[in-house]
Amino acid sequence: MLEIPAQIWQRTKTSYIWRSLFRHGYPDSRKNQSLAVFTNVFLHLHPVKVRRHALAIPYTWCMGGLSFFLFLVLTLTGTLLMFYYRPTTEWAYSDIKDLETVVIFGQLLRNMHRWAAHGMVITVFLHMIRVFYTGSYKPPREFNWVIGTLLFFFTILLSYTGYLLPWDQLSFWAVTVGYEIARATPFIGDEFSFVLFGGFQLGPNALLRFYVLHVVALPLAVGFLIAIHFWRIRKDGGITGPL
Amino acid sequence: MRQDSVVRVDKRVEDTAMVWPHLLVIEFIAAMLWSIGLFVISAAFNAPLQDHQTPDCTPNPSKAPWYLLNLQELLLHMDKGLAGVVVPTLWLVFMATIPYIDRSREGVGIWFTSKNGLRITIFAAAYATLLCFSLILLDAFLKAHGYIEFASEYFPGGKQLLPNYVIPIVIMIGLSVLLVIIVQRIWDANTREWMIAIFTGFISVYLVLTVVGTSMRGPGMDLFTPWSVPATSQCYAPHG
Ligand code: HEM
Repeated sequence: MLEIPAQIWQRTKTSYIWRSLFRHGYPDSRKNQSLAVFTNVFLHLHPVKVRRHALAIPYTWCMGGLSFFLFLVLTLTGTLLMFYYRPTTEWAYSDIKDLETVVIFGQLLRNMHRWAAHGMVITVFLHMIRVFYTGSYKPPREFNWVIGTLLFFFTILLSYTGYLLPWDQLSFWAVTVGYEIARATPFIGDEFSFVLFGGFQLGPNALLRFYVLHVVALPLAVGFLIAIHFWRIRKDGGITGPL
Repeated sequence: MRQDSVVRVDKRVEDTAMVWPHLLVIEFIAAMLWSIGLFVISAAFNAPLQDHQTPDCTPNPSKAPWYLLNLQELLLHMDKGLAGVVVPTLWLVFMATIPYIDRSREGVGIWFTSKNGLRITIFAAAYATLLCFSLILLDAFLKAHGYIEFASEYFPGGKQLLPNYVIPIVIMIGLSVLLVIIVQRIWDANTREWMIAIFTGFISVYLVLTVVGTSMRGPGMDLFTPWSVPATSQCYAPHG
C-alpha cells in the first residue's frame, strides 16, 4: 500500500520540474540544510548557522521578529482593505461601514488590521527596550540603532496616519489634536501644518494626504529601513551575545 | 587607523546551531501562535467606529490615539510647541546618538550589563515615576488654586514665559542632570550606567504620561482617579 505514495514522491522529487524549483534534497543533512537556507530568497535573510544563544527567547523576546511579522500582516490586510476603501470625504466613512456590514469577513479584516497596528507599536517599543538593556547598540551596531530609531518614529507615524482614515468622530478629533500640535511648531508651524494637512483645517486634502502617506510613502520607507536593518544585523555579525 | 565595520564584526568560534531547523521552527511556531492570537482577538473585539465626522460637534475630551497621549498629556503642562514638537524631536535625536556617546563594549549582550546596572535601572524607574506623577498632581493642584491668575499678575512675562517655558525646561533638564549626578555619587556610574539611568527615566516618564493621559483625564482634560473618570460627552457644541 505505502509503496504507491512513496513511488509518487520519488518520481516527483526526481522530476524535471521539481528539480528546476529546488536545487537540493530534503534538508535532513547539514549540506542540504545549508542549501535550503541560502538558495531560498526568503530564507537567505538568515545566516546558515546562528549562535545557540541567539535562539534564546528570554534574550530577544522574539520582539524584532514579531514586529516584522506584524508588518507583513499589516501589509497583507491593508492591501485587502484598499480594495474597498476610497479616501474621499464622500465615501471614506460609508466604505468603512460597508466593510462592517456588507463585505464578507470585512469586519474581521478591519479588526485584524486595527489590532495588528496597535500590536506593532507595542512590539517595536519592547524590541527597543530589549536592545537597549542588553547593550546591543554598542559597536559595531551603532548605525543599526540609528536605523531602529527611525523605524520607531515611522511606525508611530504609520499608525497615526491610518487613524484618520475611517473619518468618524473618533478619528477626526484625535487627528485634530495632532494638527494643533503641528501648528504649534516653533517658527514654521503654519507652513509645516499646511504641507502636512493640505490646508488650515482638516478636510478632503488632509484625508487624501494621510491616505497616500499611509499606504505608499510610509510603508515604502519602513520596508526599505527594515531591509537595511536586517542586512546590517548580518553584516554586524548576527545578534549580540555575551562577549 | 580605524578598521571599517565589516572587519570589526565580532565572530567567535562558538556553539552554533543550524538555522534549518532550529531557528525556523521557532519562527514558524511564533508566527502561528500570533496569527491564531490575532484571529481570536479580531473575532472577539470590534475596531471602534463612531458617527460620521462633523466639525460642529467636539467630543469632550478629544483624545489622540493612546500611543500619542503621552504627548497630549505633556501639552497640559507647558507650551504646545515645546511639548508636542521640540521635546520629542530632541529626545529622538538624543536617542539616535546614544551609541556615539556610550562607546565602550562593556556588557554587550548581558541584560543590564551588571548588578549595578540593574540597581540603577530600578532606582531610575522609581525616581522618574514618582517625580513625574507628583509633578502632574502638583500642577493640577496649583492650577485649581489660581496659579495661572497669580502668574499673569505677578510673574515677569506673565502666564507665558515662566509657567509655559522656563519652569518646565528647568524641571526637565534639572531633574535629568540630578539623576545622573545621583547615580554617579552612589554607584560611581560610568557612561553606560548613567545612560541606563537616563533611558530608564525617559521610558518611565513616557509610561506614566501615557497611563495618566489614557486613564485619568476626563472632560476638559481634568484629572480624575482612573475609576471615576466621567464618560466622554460625545457632542459638545460650544455655540449650540
Ligand atoms: C519595524 C521595526 C523593527 C523591526 C521589524 C526590527 C527587527 C529586528 C530583528 C528581527 C532583529 C533581530 C534580533 C531580535 O529579534 O531581537 C533586530 C535587531 C536589532 N534591532 Fe530592530 N527592528 C525594528 C525596530 C528597531 C528599533 C526601534 C530599534 C532601536 C531603536 C532597533 C534596533 C536594533 C538593533 C541595534 C538590533 C541588533 C540587536 C542585536 O544584535 O542584539 N530595531 N531588529
